[in-house]
Amino acid sequence: MNPVAKTSASLHAHLLAILFALFVPVAAWAAAEQHVYTLQTHGLACPFCAYGVEKQLGKVEGVESVSTDIASGTVIITMKEGQNLNEADARGAVERAGFTMQNFMEKEEL
Amino acid sequence: MGWSLRPPAIFLAIIGLVIPIPRTLAAPQTFNTALPVAEDEFIFREQLFFRSVGDDVSAADREIEVLGSVSVLGYGISSNFAAFIVLPYLDKEMRVTTIGGQRVTRKTDGFGDLRLFGRYTVYRSDALGRTFRVAPFLGVELPTGDHEDVDRLGILPAPLQLGSGSWDAFGGIVLTYQTLDYQIDIQASYKANSKANGFRFGDEAKLDTSLQYRLWPRDLSTGLPGFLYGVVEGNLISREKNEIAGARDSGSGGTSFFLSPGIQYVARRWIVEAIIQLPLFQELGGTALSDDFVVRTGFRFNF
Repeated sequence: MNPVAKTSASLHAHLLAILFALFVPVAAWAAAEQHVYTLQTHGLACPFCAYGVEKQLGKVEGVESVSTDIASGTVIITMKEGQNLNEADARGAVERAGFTMQNFMEKEEL
Repeated sequence: MGWSLRPPAIFLAIIGLVIPIPRTLAAPQTFNTALPVAEDEFIFREQLFFRSVGDDVSAADREIEVLGSVSVLGYGISSNFAAFIVLPYLDKEMRVTTIGGQRVTRKTDGFGDLRLFGRYTVYRSDALGRTFRVAPFLGVELPTGDHEDVDRLGILPAPLQLGSGSWDAFGGIVLTYQTLDYQIDIQASYKANSKANGFRFGDEAKLDTSLQYRLWPRDLSTGLPGFLYGVVEGNLISREKNEIAGARDSGSGGTSFFLSPGIQYVARRWIVEAIIQLPLFQELGGTALSDDFVVRTGFRFNF
């Protein structure tokens, strides 16, 4: 192999390595995509009541974790990788807990 | 013979209309609350209490002490409808002077009468950080406690028995207004007692109020911190006279009002609490015994 061809092959190998190195974390990032939703609930006024909301939302398919900010009435729901939360499901869960869902929005994508 | 209070139910109903709505927060310790039990969720409450009754004006100089526990299991059938089972365990002891002048102690212990009741939320108004609920409830007290217990002196008097022996219906309504800072509960209830073995406890009407105020944390930050509440509850109880073999027992019935300071810590899944009920007013029939105090402490959790 002449020196030019050798250099070219080496360059291709390096480019492939760089692309692979870039692709793997991008693919991993895409696979690890988690949707986070924010609900605003009305009626929540004590920690003991919040548990009912968290428990009902935790039963919705695809929900990984639920946390409540009592002062703002906000419930943050983190979904499992690649899972989405349907607004009707969220509203139904809050209703089953005995409270009222006011706002529903997807907060961000991690 | 009686060991509390009891007058006409209509009196209580009138009082309920006249008394201004007091202020309360979280969940009362001496009565029910309208706050929801989420659908398909259980709540368990265990409460220990000690009650001291005395001030007998008769020569019998009766003194009664009751050490007991009350276990409550609630289940949310739907977001609006919850069913409850209440089972007391009682250890009762009465010291009394016999006709011969001898001071004797009579006692019994065991499970009392089981209560079953359902509560349905008929009105709900939610806003950010606050809620208002109205929930009527209806139930029955089953004669599961022993009502024919005897000791060496013979059959125990009815108030010392663990159960009434009768099927008794009760119902009422509870209103709850809760904010992040405080909660107010008001409950009006009536219990219609029936006869068993020739004895009938007088009907009972109650008006209960509760104010719970968040003492700590003073300022809410983010997240879901536990709340420490200061509690003040009031219990107005009116009982009709008992009936023995169809005749009214003049030494029973009357009206009492208890004022009860307490404390409560509310976390996400559990609550611990304690309260003391102090009689401020007792107008009782004849030789009916009056309450000295009642101390209650307990916990509850949901699952």
